[in-house]
Amino acid sequence: MLEIFELAFMQRALITGIILAVVLSYLGILVILRKMSFFADGIAHSSLAGVAIGVLASFYPLLSAIAFSLLMGLLIYYLEEKSKLSSDTIIGIIFSSGLALGAMLMSFKSGYQPELISFLFGNILAITWLDLIIIATVGFLIVLFVKLYYKKLVLISLNKDLAQAQGLKGKSLKLFFYLALSTAVVLAIKVLGLILASALLIIPVATAKSFSKSLKHLNFLAIFIGIITVFLGLLLSYYFDLSTGPTIVLLGAVFFFFSLLFKKD
Amino acid sequence: MKDKALEIKNLSVNLGGINVLQNINFSLEKGEIAALVGPNGAGKSTLIKAVLRLLPYKGEINILGRANKGKGLYKVGYVPQYFSFDLEFPLTVNEFLSFNPKLKDKREIDKSLKEVEMFDYKDSKLAKLSGGQKQRILIAQAILSDPELLFLDEPTTGIDASGERGFYEIIEHLNKVHGTTIVMSSHELSMVYKYADKVICLNQEMYCSGDPNKTITKDVLEKLYGKDTELKPHSH
Repeated sequence: MLEIFELAFMQRALITGIILAVVLSYLGILVILRKMSFFADGIAHSSLAGVAIGVLASFYPLLSAIAFSLLMGLLIYYLEEKSKLSSDTIIGIIFSSGLALGAMLMSFKSGYQPELISFLFGNILAITWLDLIIIATVGFLIVLFVKLYYKKLVLISLNKDLAQAQGLKGKSLKLFFYLALSTAVVLAIKVLGLILASALLIIPVATAKSFSKSLKHLNFLAIFIGIITVFLGLLLSYYFDLSTGPTIVLLGAVFFFFSLLFKKD
Repeated sequence: MKDKALEIKNLSVNLGGINVLQNINFSLEKGEIAALVGPNGAGKSTLIKAVLRLLPYKGEINILGRANKGKGLYKVGYVPQYFSFDLEFPLTVNEFLSFNPKLKDKREIDKSLKEVEMFDYKDSKLAKLSGGQKQRILIAQAILSDPELLFLDEPTTGIDASGERGFYEIIEHLNKVHGTTIVMSSHELSMVYKYADKVICLNQEMYCSGDPNKTITKDVLEKLYGKDTELKPHSH
């Protein structure tokens, strides 16, 4: 059964999937605590414009998508700080305008666009060694930086005033987290597609939450569930000839609904 | 003469073009318990947040003889007004306290939990505690760094009567045993009479400052809360 992982493209898919499961589940805890799942969705969808810029300019689309998403993360932060608009409204505008810009730019490219479909719905089996190296390097840096500031980020997510009164710099920590999250979400678009990219941020953490005794336990369990979901999703999609991204997401959703049945309190 | 714990001179706070506080002047001696009273929107929380540098202000604030500027707040603890989050988020009391950047020695966690009689809840999930218990944990985090001046913003909101009584007993213990100067905003005038050495009456401006039994007059109450407000003084 596991001999499929002797295939180079499956090895790349598995390693990339596991890296993303670790990065996204780890950040997902803060996303759920801060109620920021719409932010992740907004960034993922708006990154279509970044992908389109890369495709049109014949530039590596994952990098242009990362650059564009960082810009969008910065814009959301700036508008939240400087305008009186709610975060929900700001993200809603970024979400739809980024997606619209991407669709418009893509229409300038004639003929069948396999890369567009690949970025919309993801194609983990088409991951190249270059993709893997970029996802691994950027993912490692995100986890490293978030780990360094983890306690501070949790504290500021729980109560901003309390954290600032304890001497933490609320605004710079928030900006830092927005940029880390924007980058992490876009790393997943090659695998899950921009439509499903935020799923690995939310579902493993939501599943693990009701079984966790502590934050430390939640960290471990969410990452474990994320890895298992990716691994089994890959196997199922291969043997039943299903789209890999949607299979991983649906399997995660099945785990989540089972967790509701078996949770203790 | 005792040292001043807090000195506020000509303090004004303007938020979005609205004067939330104007020309506030008062001072507290070390070891006093002070209550900030006034109706909703009077600026009680704003005053605390200005002192904690969470909001911009004009005027002069001195804390424990030092100007309120530079890196970090010196010997100051804070218990915020609201503390609610996802009820299933599994953060334990011990984890929450260990995240305090002012914590130097983890043994201080046990010590502060014992102070607020919550040591048995060290490994409990914070979100599962009652309102009164959460408030005690917030006091535990505030006293981790052994503050000389402690600010509490509407600390008994959402706490039942027995929880409230226990809460004020802890505050009194911190004040009497550790000599901590306490500043708390409150709606409970009966508690102000019972526990506070000084009352500061606010409604955008300052209407009184002094001993609660002498300062809170019918006239002051009417200015704060409108006419038909009953005056029920309590003795210590």
